[in-house]
Amino acid sequence: MFIARSEYDRGINTFSPEGRLFQVEYSLEAIKLGSTAIGVATGGGVVLGVEKRVTSSLLETSSVEKIVEIDRHIGCAMSGLQADARSMVEHARVESQNHAFHYNEPLRVESCTQAICDLALRFGEGADGEESIMSRPFGVALLIAGYDEDGPQLYHAEPSGTFYRYDAKAIGSGSEGAQAELQNEFHKSLTIEEAETLVLKTLKQVMEEKLDSKNVQLASVTKERGFRIYTDAEMAVVVERLPAN
Amino acid sequence: MSAMFSQNPLMNGPNYSFNQAPSTAAAGNKEHGFYPYTDNGGSTLAISGSDFTIVAGDTRSTSGYNINTRYSPKVFKIGGTTSSQDDATLVLSVVGFAADGEALKERLDAIVKMYRYQHGKPMSVKACAQRLSTILYGKRFFPYYVTAILGGLDEEGNGAVYSYDPVGSYEREQCRAAGAAASLIMPFLDNQVNYKNQYIPGSGVGHALVEREKIPLGRTEVEDVVKDAFDSAVERHIEVGDGLQMFVITKSGIEEKYLPLKRD
Repeated sequence: MFIARSEYDRGINTFSPEGRLFQVEYSLEAIKLGSTAIGVATGGGVVLGVEKRVTSSLLETSSVEKIVEIDRHIGCAMSGLQADARSMVEHARVESQNHAFHYNEPLRVESCTQAICDLALRFGEGADGEESIMSRPFGVALLIAGYDEDGPQLYHAEPSGTFYRYDAKAIGSGSEGAQAELQNEFHKSLTIEEAETLVLKTLKQVMEEKLDSKNVQLASVTKERGFRIYTDAEMAVVVERLPAN
Repeated sequence: MSAMFSQNPLMNGPNYSFNQAPSTAAAGNKEHGFYPYTDNGGSTLAISGSDFTIVAGDTRSTSGYNINTRYSPKVFKIGGTTSSQDDATLVLSVVGFAADGEALKERLDAIVKMYRYQHGKPMSVKACAQRLSTILYGKRFFPYYVTAILGGLDEEGNGAVYSYDPVGSYEREQCRAAGAAASLIMPFLDNQVNYKNQYIPGSGVGHALVEREKIPLGRTEVEDVVKDAFDSAVERHIEVGDGLQMFVITKSGIEEKYLPLKRD
């Protein structure tokens, strides 16, 4: 990809003669530098898991927030430039609350994902009269987990503005290895507990540090309890359950 | 409110004709005013059953003592995917100022159609009810001068009727009459649909009286109640008449019926 470096690298809204938008392609590279995030969808709910890179023993690990709530029934995990995710999440939250206000019903997970992706290409100079928020593409990918009338769902949203629904998906630096592992281990009849274990087991394989209850974070979305970030006590229970090796 | 939006501020109340409105004050000074609303008369009515909803309205449009037309529908299908709206599941009735009613109908219809594209599903009557409320309240300080009633089937398939005031306050009800003859029709519905003031003879005296047992009305009975309500309203109110338009909403679609009313 980098051999084609040229003047077309600069204009963020300019196609190269081969028909590529380099800055958008590079933004996808930025995600590959991010920490690994994994989502697994089961019949009973969706489990999200992220690794926290604890760069210092003095770091307060609870301040690393890579899984956030969008609404009671939707949450997301991120990988890449976390600051970029803030404006996306903020947009999704507003969209979700607006929908509830106008329609007296929760926003669908797919509609929420679409709303986030609508932001993705609003970079550059923008059309006449239309203000653009970003000067460059987002450098973050999201795993959006939610529960609506169609059951539990997991979506992957990229800076290019495309999104797909997945049964299980890994993003970030360890995504290649993690995705292969998910491919092998995923099956349709997973329970929530099994999904928790699968997410942590997969993270453990691709993480550089040794996994413990402080450097990973889990969250789930279920019909009964909605979106929920696991407490330290709950994390300890799941980590305890992992097969030792 | 009727006085506030009257065409004739000097008479301080609703009036029946454009021609009667004086444009000069008594002292001979020219008075300028902005009267954006007209009352086009007419009445609407909606009743929900266990698995159907009927929304009806007369088709007369008036300005004071004049009849603009004998066929101007006040009841509309909302949010269908075809030009004939034959696959719609929602019905909106609007009575009051006809131009505002038309504008409101067009706006809600566009919103319901966009919703289907954006969310990949038809809008539920509950969602549409809330949306209509926010539309109306959005014009809180220059309202759509209409009384709206929304009809459809809820998620369980039961009939649903939502009634509104002009600024969006709403409520789900069993039945509701609106418009010029609302005060004539509503007490009739209270008595004939909800059996208000109907007691079992000889069941007691005063508070000991036992109310007549409520039974959900069937479709033919409700249609008869609607016809009777309008026939009576036509007799007693000059702004109601000409034709009765009825939409019957069931799970198999919306059936439209038209019956003539007295044209006097």
